[in-house]
Amino acid sequence: MLNYVWAGLIILSFVFGITSDVLDFSKDRYRNGTELTIGLSSESSLTDESRRQDVTVHIDPSFFQSFYGTESRPDSTYAGQLVRSADGIQLRFAQGVSIPEPWATIRSETSPRDNDLRGVMTFESVDSTSAVAHVTFSDVKFVKMHAIAAAAIDMAETAVSLALGLIGVIALWMGLLKIAEASGLIHSVVRVTQPILRPLFPEIPKDHPALGLIVLNLTANMLGLGNAATPLGIKAMEEMQKLNPDPDTATNSMVMLLAMNTASVQLVPPVLLVALMGLQINELIFAILIVTSISLVVGILAAKLLSKMKRFQPVPAVAVDPLNVGGK
Amino acid sequence: MDTLRTVLEVLSAFVLPALIVGFPLYGLLKKVPVYEEFVEGAKDGFKVAVTIIPYLVAILFAIGMFRASGAMDFMVEGLRPMLSWIGVPPEVLPMMVIRPLTGSGSAAIVLDMINQFGEDSILVKMVATMFGSTETTFYVIAVYFGAVNIKKTRHAVPAGLIADVVAMLLSVFVVRWLFA
Repeated sequence: MLNYVWAGLIILSFVFGITSDVLDFSKDRYRNGTELTIGLSSESSLTDESRRQDVTVHIDPSFFQSFYGTESRPDSTYAGQLVRSADGIQLRFAQGVSIPEPWATIRSETSPRDNDLRGVMTFESVDSTSAVAHVTFSDVKFVKMHAIAAAAIDMAETAVSLALGLIGVIALWMGLLKIAEASGLIHSVVRVTQPILRPLFPEIPKDHPALGLIVLNLTANMLGLGNAATPLGIKAMEEMQKLNPDPDTATNSMVMLLAMNTASVQLVPPVLLVALMGLQINELIFAILIVTSISLVVGILAAKLLSKMKRFQPVPAVAVDPLNVGGK
Repeated sequence: MDTLRTVLEVLSAFVLPALIVGFPLYGLLKKVPVYEEFVEGAKDGFKVAVTIIPYLVAILFAIGMFRASGAMDFMVEGLRPMLSWIGVPPEVLPMMVIRPLTGSGSAAIVLDMINQFGEDSILVKMVATMFGSTETTFYVIAVYFGAVNIKKTRHAVPAGLIADVVAMLLSVFVVRWLFA
């Protein structure tokens, strides 16, 4: 299943990316190479040949809309700067100003570092401190192709920093759990809780430490302690992996723990949500409790029922050669 | 309700310190060489984190591409008629699609909707309930199964997603029932 979901995500991104790029191209969304007429005004004379000059750019919003065929509406003036060089005049909008689409995309594609929209400009007519001019922005092509490639690389880096960021917490909990194991604490937890848990995890033998770790993981989850829940869950997985006849393939118990985790009952909402919602969270606790209780039951049922389906049966690790049954 | 909430809050504040102090203390009473055991166990921290890396990279880069390509927005559009037919407001749809995929992305949506509609609005209550009631399923699969090198996940994805879908739809109906 994950094979298909994963490949599906990648292939769909490519298909959508290329479709959107082709549409941009056929609709000429960025008007590549076409001159846009603008008005300019400045406090000093525009015939001045100084290298840099602050100007105000005047845009007619309805002209902008028809020029780009868009609904988004620009402001009528923007702060900018003229930069004169041997190659001609460049118009730069002020850095980081709020600009409408498709300018925002043109800016992020052509000037990602300075974050200012810039284009080559020619004067049509100059009347000392005001002028009419034409500006042409750099060509923008294959926006989505660039975006998906950049996203893939970015996220690969994010994944590593996420994983490495876990080292400390995992080490802390692995250490504490080792003490708990050696002192027999896990064993006591197992004995108290196994009447409830065993029916859900029938593959785990009686008195096995995995049951204790599952209890700790689920408890941490209920109390909204995501940081502690992850290492505890990992440790529970390690204990279940010891019972696994085929180390590549998930067992029913592992999937059950996973389903219980993704649908876990929340007595205390996660820290992040509390931070986002502030006091409003008080009203939602009851709602979250109802929803998570029902979804926990659904998760357990789904894990139980799906484990019996033929397509989710584990494939035997060693395939039996049909021509060779019963020896030579 | 308020007293229950206070009790839970106190419990959740004390549970971590209690465990972090309690485990070594109990070990000491049972005459376990606590420091030695701790260090021995903690050694695994690095190994586990490194083992997870390939699984996380695989999941996160695919999800990152999916979001960047605009395919996600398309999916939201595609689901809209079906979901509005069963009474799900269109504003909460992005959350339903993003929640199982990325935690930071879905937190951003909650924040965005608070700014747009205000904390009091029923839409924000719905997405916040969704956020609180479900997990980043694909991340959890990558981390939990990655840590023990499980590649064949069998029914983990469908089981997790079924629970997610039920939780999201319930969030809409329960919030409406409680607050509307």
